[in-house]
Amino acid sequence: MRTKLGLAALAVAAATAVTACSSAASSGTSSSGSGDLSAPAASALDGKGETDITFWHAMTGTNGETLKKLTDQFNADNQGKIKVTLAFKNNYDDTLSAYKNALKGGELPDLLQVYDIGTQFMIDSKATVPAQSFIDVDKYPVADIQPNIAGYYSIGGKLYSMPFNTSMPLLYINKDAFTKAGLDPNKPPTTLDEIKADAEKLTVKDASGNVTQYGFGASLYGWFLEQWTAVAGAQYCNPDNGRNGRATDVNFATDNNVKLLTWWKSMVDQGLALKLDSDTKNGDSAFVAGKDAITLESTGSLGDFTKAGFQVGTGFYPKINASDSGGPIIGGASLWIVGKGKDDAHKRASWEFVKFLESKDSQATWHTSTGYFPVSKAALDTDVDKQWVAAKPQFQTAITQLDNTKLSTATQGCLFGVMPQVRKAAENAMQAAVLQGKDPKQALTDAASSLTQPIKDYNDSVK
Amino acid sequence: MPRDDLSTERDVSAASTVGHAEFTGRPPIGPVTDTDSAAVSQSVINRRWNPRELTLTVLFLAPAVVGLGAFVVFPLFQAVYLATMGSDILGNPTRFVGLQHFQELLTPEFGAVLARTAGFTLMVVVAGVLLPLALAVPLSQRLPGMRVFRTLFTLPFAYSASAASVVWLLMLNPAMSPVNWLLQLVGVRAPGWTTDSGWALVTVAGVTVWMVSGFNLLVLAAGLAGLDEQVLEAARIDGAAGVRHFTGIVLPMISPSLFFVIVTTTLTALQSLGQPQVMTDGGPNGATSTLVYSIFNQAFHNNNSNYGLASAQGLVLLVVGVLLAAVQFGVIERRVHYR
Amino acid sequence: MTSTFTYVWLVVAAVVLLFPVLLTVLGGFLPSVDLLRQPPNLLGHYTVDSYLGALRQTVVPLLPAFGNSLFVGLVIMGAHLVTSCLAAYALVFLRTPLRTPLFWLFLATIMVPYEAIVVPNALFVRSLGIGDSPVALVLPFLANGFGVFLLRQAFRQFPGELRDAATIDGCGHFRFLFTILLPGCRPAIAALAVWSFLQGWNMYFWPLIISSTNNSLNTLQTAVFALRSNDSADPGLLLAGITITLLPTLLLVLFGQRWLVRGFTAGAVK
Repeated sequence: MRTKLGLAALAVAAATAVTACSSAASSGTSSSGSGDLSAPAASALDGKGETDITFWHAMTGTNGETLKKLTDQFNADNQGKIKVTLAFKNNYDDTLSAYKNALKGGELPDLLQVYDIGTQFMIDSKATVPAQSFIDVDKYPVADIQPNIAGYYSIGGKLYSMPFNTSMPLLYINKDAFTKAGLDPNKPPTTLDEIKADAEKLTVKDASGNVTQYGFGASLYGWFLEQWTAVAGAQYCNPDNGRNGRATDVNFATDNNVKLLTWWKSMVDQGLALKLDSDTKNGDSAFVAGKDAITLESTGSLGDFTKAGFQVGTGFYPKINASDSGGPIIGGASLWIVGKGKDDAHKRASWEFVKFLESKDSQATWHTSTGYFPVSKAALDTDVDKQWVAAKPQFQTAITQLDNTKLSTATQGCLFGVMPQVRKAAENAMQAAVLQGKDPKQALTDAASSLTQPIKDYNDSVK
Repeated sequence: MPRDDLSTERDVSAASTVGHAEFTGRPPIGPVTDTDSAAVSQSVINRRWNPRELTLTVLFLAPAVVGLGAFVVFPLFQAVYLATMGSDILGNPTRFVGLQHFQELLTPEFGAVLARTAGFTLMVVVAGVLLPLALAVPLSQRLPGMRVFRTLFTLPFAYSASAASVVWLLMLNPAMSPVNWLLQLVGVRAPGWTTDSGWALVTVAGVTVWMVSGFNLLVLAAGLAGLDEQVLEAARIDGAAGVRHFTGIVLPMISPSLFFVIVTTTLTALQSLGQPQVMTDGGPNGATSTLVYSIFNQAFHNNNSNYGLASAQGLVLLVVGVLLAAVQFGVIERRVHYR
Repeated sequence: MTSTFTYVWLVVAAVVLLFPVLLTVLGGFLPSVDLLRQPPNLLGHYTVDSYLGALRQTVVPLLPAFGNSLFVGLVIMGAHLVTSCLAAYALVFLRTPLRTPLFWLFLATIMVPYEAIVVPNALFVRSLGIGDSPVALVLPFLANGFGVFLLRQAFRQFPGELRDAATIDGCGHFRFLFTILLPGCRPAIAALAVWSFLQGWNMYFWPLIISSTNNSLNTLQTAVFALRSNDSADPGLLLAGITITLLPTLLLVLFGQRWLVRGFTAGAVK
């Protein structure tokens, strides 16, 4: 009886193991429906009734409200033909993770907003219709798209996605705090040293020695490290920032980065800078609550910041060394039209919505409500935009900064399949150096070596 | 006695098999023998198996067997298989990598994950049992208003992991923290609750303790309420007083409840994802990356899809769970005094 | 210990432990500008704007999330009751071959935390193509070894004489099960029901994965996280939204303590 039971159990185990292997292996190779990756013409929507499309995005607060406003307008204009449903995905990282999960047999969205660093992965995932295909079919006027911005999302002259919310990093100051400290609120600091000098005057302590307002406070956001590298005119990854062929490793432990982290750590240790983690939400609420007087954030936060209880000023993203010759990278996110498993009507509907969001009026609304600067050149010439910018010069800063930046592989930013993991590793290094007291050079080197295996795995799997 | 008095729950524990004669001298899961003729009487046993009964048996067992087989047993084998595979950029397990993932478990990084999990669990269990005990004991006195206090202290139980994490993020947010404000009043500079790598794990553990305190209090209070007054009286008459009374008489008498609270709190701590994910996202620099968070991170987060490594880590979680259960049932449970 | 000392200790502990609850409930009634101060100004201008905003906003719809949480809790409760009742009945009242090994197998599954096998389960459920349906939220959790264990213990304690009497009366298995056994084991059944419901209601990891590809499958637990992501700049709205998601369990704690104790002392044998 015992041996019989044992044999039976063994047989069952073997059988389950075999089926376990096959089911786990096949769970990814879902043969999709009709969707190929070609771009249909406008006629794809004729006679189809209402086409419902889902748009995955990561716009929060004011930006989210503006997006909803634009979407409602589009839905009203296209009633009976196209209906866009917004799906908020918490943040850019989660949006991309969700997309990756959906590729394995979930419900793919029709349109999704992916941050700049997800570009290479999106191309490699081979599930989207390149914007260029639609541009060619429609003869869309690409001359209207700002060339610096288009440059980021084009590989080999082909525009893969349509840029939507384009931003650059800015320096934000609390003008009221500056005036109170005897500093000129119209002259924000431009280098790390200047920030330190200003912070010394801006840090306010109460009677018992506790700091009620820090001079400086910024989140340890990996994006900032990428920006400082570009400002210094250096490559973030090799070779050529991945712009001329696949990147193979990262350049973390540079002298500039070490100088940056050492500076940041000393600011924190001297009580001039607020200790923050990498969650930009915490950094934002600290600035809005007046906990610090100088912060770094995307120009896309301008809309939310102007709702704070004080005058907000903007300045160019600070340089590490006064002699840095580069400029910040155009960041933000772009719109990707999913083709895998989608029929022509859905692909076309997504493109129609994209065109609407790119139009000069939508971009003018977008710019004036959020602070992201317009992808469409014509948007800057609309009355709405011109009046707004004249009244609120903070909305001009990013544009001027963009105009001053020369396009190079450094300012184009790094293109890397595992860029999200790279950014996370950079954040780990920043946290290690600033919050945990680790030696900056060591922290950066360790972070870079933690990426060797993931980079290798990725590059191996896309050969 | 008012109907709400927890001591009336004694009849529930009779049915629920805690502290009941059924378990005297045996561990609660008890040896299972066929001599429980209470259920199947003699006259039935003598009949031969008939096809109808056999069909009924299969039918009755099928749902649970299929459900557990397909979603607990089968995945265990799958996890072993997946742990030997590497994924492509889309997460499909396409490359056989043998023991690479298991080798990745033998690294100092993963050792740190295990150490953190151990530290976190220890903090949560110790504080999560002692604090409610320190509240339940005074609450067990027959003073006016105790029921109100008891209800109030149970309120944290209403919070889900994500709700508790978000509310505490606000409570500790440097921009608006009442805690920091209070500390400033007494001249103490508040640490970076979620930014100091030393404090981050403590903060996350603290929030977990807060979350379990309500429920643990309820169970311990019920245990204390169910104590036999006569035994306590007799002990007092015999001269047991104060601390000795407590450790020598009361504690052993509520040891079933204590054991229960220890076991469930350990499980809660081991399985916590909400708190480290929402409060610190595993940071700073992995300081709050516990085992469950690590599984989540490797498989579904930060654009990772390392299903192989996550499966291997899942198997480690299984082993840890079994080991802890063995320790708890084999060692601690032996000292539980069942009435 | 003296009663004064007791009261002092209890009051201090209450203030410390319950301030977050106070903040949660009151914070929803205050404008964010009063909250974003140190300390938050709890004496500000009270309004219901944030509550209305939380209910009206469409980014993280709370009512559907509530529906999903309810669905998960009720389905898992029902499924646990059904599968456990039937399996326990078979183990106790039917002459099941291999009774003992089967029981140990059920018991062994209790040892497996679902997070340990979440990856293969997630891949499997996704491969079934039901990623859009609420079924995906509950499918792996329909059967539970603990439920089988609990009810088996309860059934074993059922008096054999009543069973014999029923058999003599010509009562078949089904009649016996539904008209005599289940009513007689009400406390254990109720305990399992409460425990299972709360297991389903409180799940976080699994709904987080399943809802990542489909927002309509958000439960209240994942909705709170999404709410925080969207409205971190508006703590008033955030706290109002959280209070709304906590209403069911808050009510349970305030008015259903007996049920809670039942549900949990049921788990006492785990």
